[in-house]
Amino acid sequence: MMAYSEDDIALAAEYALGTLDADERAEAEAKMSIDKDFAAMVEAWQHKLGVLNQMVGSIQPRPEVWNKIKSAISLSDAQAALALPEAVPAAPEALQPAVVADTSNVVRLSARARRWRNVATFASAIAAALIAVIAVGVYQPDLLPGAIRPKPRTQVVEVKTSSAPTPRSAQYVAVLQKEGGSPAFILTVDAATRNFTVRKVGAAAEPGKSFELWLISDKLPRPRSLGVIGNGDFTARPVLASYDSDVINNATYAVTVEQAGGSPDGIPHSAPVFTGKLIETVPPAAPAR
Amino acid sequence: MLTPAELVWLIAAVAKGDEAAFERLYAATRAKLFGVVLRILRRQDLAEEVIQETYVKIWNGAGKFNPGLSSPITWMASIARNRAIDVVRKRGELSIEEEPAAMEVAAESPDPLARREMSEELKRLLECVGRLEPDRQKLVLLAYYNGWSREQLAAKFETPVNTVKTWLRRSMMDIRECLGL
Repeated sequence: MMAYSEDDIALAAEYALGTLDADERAEAEAKMSIDKDFAAMVEAWQHKLGVLNQMVGSIQPRPEVWNKIKSAISLSDAQAALALPEAVPAAPEALQPAVVADTSNVVRLSARARRWRNVATFASAIAAALIAVIAVGVYQPDLLPGAIRPKPRTQVVEVKTSSAPTPRSAQYVAVLQKEGGSPAFILTVDAATRNFTVRKVGAAAEPGKSFELWLISDKLPRPRSLGVIGNGDFTARPVLASYDSDVINNATYAVTVEQAGGSPDGIPHSAPVFTGKLIETVPPAAPAR
Repeated sequence: MLTPAELVWLIAAVAKGDEAAFERLYAATRAKLFGVVLRILRRQDLAEEVIQETYVKIWNGAGKFNPGLSSPITWMASIARNRAIDVVRKRGELSIEEEPAAMEVAAESPDPLARREMSEELKRLLECVGRLEPDRQKLVLLAYYNGWSREQLAAKFETPVNTVKTWLRRSMMDIRECLGL
């Protein structure tokens, strides 16, 4: 196990104790999802402290609770089947071919794009760490840690679509982070509406600067802006709807530091500061229902 | 309550989709888990929702349970407790004044277990908690059993939040050292 700072150890311990606030819990959960050793440390604390529950008295819940659990289970099974993309979510090994295919495309990319391609290749390493989380998201959204699991307040639909909103469509995540650093943003994409939400976990932009989110795809000649990330905890936008699922799934998502209000010319002006990827997660657009 | 070994067996069966095993697991563990989350949520309706979500997670995630790392009941209670804490943190805190009576009662009364009924692990942990200063023992136990936030603890101890933060951190580090974690 790698050596952790006292801050990390305290974060794990206080997560298990329960005294973190909502944002700190989200941060800890994001860390758990990308850092197995950190997750193990949290589990060790949960186990050590969990013995305290031996002293908690048992109280019977009402019988209808069981009925609700039973129906929720058959419900979630049915939903999982519906939400499943055509392809079985990639096992970690299955990532390899995708990376290789990416590399063969490099010749077609401009120098600028090549710089970004390096980012994309690096991001796929992070993606490998995330694959377990994402695969869980596909099959069992309920298993995702709270920080990553869609929360009602993050599912802001800014554009009303003609189809009825799907109550619990699958949600997919990418954790945007610096190499080896703490997660800074958690990007959640709603598979049905393609709205995305960025949750700010760590970083704050310097005064006079803005964080801007970009989509980088080898199917597109240059990075596409997904807009400036607001100062609030959550920024929600529908702009991914104009991209097809192939682009969304294989893109690298990167955050740059731009002048206040964002890049004036639609081109990133800094190297990507935080990056991450979604993998094979968003099913092709369903025909209008 | 079934023995831990029986619970491990049940969870393994649940991981394979055995509904009867799941029902037995529920019957054996629901009251303990409900007790844990009700202390934290203090509302029957919220506690029931958390219990529902917890067992759905257990059904879906039984394959992830690792008996080498955790006991079955601790694993299940952690899922329930984490969910309960998420709910209270996100609802915004009930101020301590809102329910003084209930808070106070809950604060002082985890079920007293006869010492011989305690597991060795519990004795060991309580020994370590017991080495903390009295106020800090109470701080840690209130945080764990009642799911109180730092703000609630600060109000209870009439201390600035930052002091509580420091105490909590120091206390956890002391416990860590004492347990040899």
